[in-house]
Amino acid sequence: MENQISDASDFTHSRIPKLSQLDTLLRCHICKDFLKVPVLTPCGHTFCSLCIREYISVQAKCPLCLTELRESMLRSEFLVSEIVESYKVVRDDLLDILKQRKESPESDPDSSIIEVGSDPEDSLIVNDNQSDDTSDDIKILQSGKPISLKRIYTDITSSSLRTAPRSKYFKTNIPMKRSSTASRIDSILKKPVELVPCPICEKYFPVKELERTHLDECLTLQSLDNKLTPLTKTAEKDEVVSKGSTVIPPNKSLLSRSLWRMKPREEEGEKEEKVSFVDKYINSTTDIEHQRLPKLDFPSMTITQIKQKLSNLGLSTTGTKQNMMARYNYYEILWNSNFCDSLNPVNVSELKRQLLNWEASRKVHNGTNLSTSIGNLMTLRGTHKQNDYKKLLDNFKTDKFNRKEWCILFRKQFRRLIKDAKKGQTSRTLNADHIQEFDIEEQLTDPDLSNDLFDKLDKTPQNPQNP
Amino acid sequence: MASLPKRIIKETERLVTDPVPGITAEPHDDNLRYFKVTIEGPAGSPYEDGLFNLELYLPDDYPMEAPKVRFLTKIYHPNIDRLGRICLDILKTNWSPALQIRTVLLSVQALLASPNPNDPLANDVAEDWIKNEQGAKAKAKEWTALYAKK
Repeated sequence: MENQISDASDFTHSRIPKLSQLDTLLRCHICKDFLKVPVLTPCGHTFCSLCIREYISVQAKCPLCLTELRESMLRSEFLVSEIVESYKVVRDDLLDILKQRKESPESDPDSSIIEVGSDPEDSLIVNDNQSDDTSDDIKILQSGKPISLKRIYTDITSSSLRTAPRSKYFKTNIPMKRSSTASRIDSILKKPVELVPCPICEKYFPVKELERTHLDECLTLQSLDNKLTPLTKTAEKDEVVSKGSTVIPPNKSLLSRSLWRMKPREEEGEKEEKVSFVDKYINSTTDIEHQRLPKLDFPSMTITQIKQKLSNLGLSTTGTKQNMMARYNYYEILWNSNFCDSLNPVNVSELKRQLLNWEASRKVHNGTNLSTSIGNLMTLRGTHKQNDYKKLLDNFKTDKFNRKEWCILFRKQFRRLIKDAKKGQTSRTLNADHIQEFDIEEQLTDPDLSNDLFDKLDKTPQNPQNP
Repeated sequence: MASLPKRIIKETERLVTDPVPGITAEPHDDNLRYFKVTIEGPAGSPYEDGLFNLELYLPDDYPMEAPKVRFLTKIYHPNIDRLGRICLDILKTNWSPALQIRTVLLSVQALLASPNPNDPLANDVAEDWIKNEQGAKAKAKEWTALYAKK
């Protein structure tokens, strides 16, 4: 569970800190996690369907702008849903790459003289223009056509590195082109290489690479190109490359390593995701088979009616009226969120499983609260007292709770607490239990006893307001 | 102990790694919903140079329900009573789950910088504040030196 917690601040130390804004925007303001089944409010804010429905049942207003809000006003946002899902898929890779690049020392692009090729007719001689103050202006000399490395470099990075995550959204043939560029870069940088033009695309490549991989890629690409319109960026890059230059990235090992590393992953996932996110969005429809579950007017219903309603839905009818009401209300939220908002609704039995989980977690929660914290607080001696305490505790959160008896039972403990509180007023450091005590004191709203308790609290000796 | 919602773990992490200037908040070892908080008195207020201890508790229904915050250090302030309870709208009626521990504590700090005697919790302090602002501020300063020494 720990390692699943991601935060927008993950990007602050990466190469593009501004991505943390995108990361934040794709999160729900209630659970702070990525939007899950996002819904739009009339005031233009987006939350997870479950989060906002749960909150509306407590308070009928938008958490962000506090305008009035009802469940019926919520509309699902399939586009946002798919944007978030596709972002989640690439987030880890993106972060990996962006961190890696940051950690590496900045390499200096104009620190090398690279001679490419041995044949004077075909070769390209890349020469460092050291006298030039515009820094990364390596001149690539070929038939008098100097090309700025800076331009090549930005082209390379923008078309290959930056489009890496994007290419998941815009389905193009970029990965193929990139991988060929990557291998080209890799092989070129190892040593001066002899370059020969490719008979298909007429670009220059080292002989080995041309034979081994490029020809195949180029052929596949061509057939793809006929079907798909290439991105303009790809075209630009091609233009530069086809002017007869080779590409020397400043940071050869890292760049090529990261490109190599992503290549297989990208290619294998590409086709599948293309279908899942984009098509899912385009073909999205709401479930019309399942009707929205209505809100119930519990105060006007008898227990039998409530039980009837629950068993009609196939829900358990155990527990108090309160339990049953809570059960129905949460099930209604689950149901409506699932069948009205979700792009891929789960079936009814899964919903029931979620409901059971929720009830179980609540039980555990209440259980720990009552029996451990209060139990620890109120250490009781004698078994019959212990029984009284247990009996009272059973009704602790219901109307039947007997405050008077509770106060009598714990009179000693309360006195002790008051004494301690008075003693420790000046130099106390409260621990976890103290706040529980505070809560308990507040619950004692029985006029006779709790007033008495608070009167005592008020007469603290060092209170300058009550001299 | 019941599992802690992801959101609480995340908020705690962020509070520790990227703390708000002048505010510290640390969860208690035994109860991760209970925080020991300190707030520095804002500069230019009568509470300047004071360090105030608070406690913050995240109820079971957090973030659907507001955290419970209380001053442990004595403070002379029209919106904070002698039990340390704070009169702040976002802790009561204007709570929103889009708020978080960080924003709540910032609001408390802001309340120290600008007391609002027209919506009092400690009536006697508020009266004093309205009738004799200079005197009340002097008293607040005196209390800060007395109880909230750094």
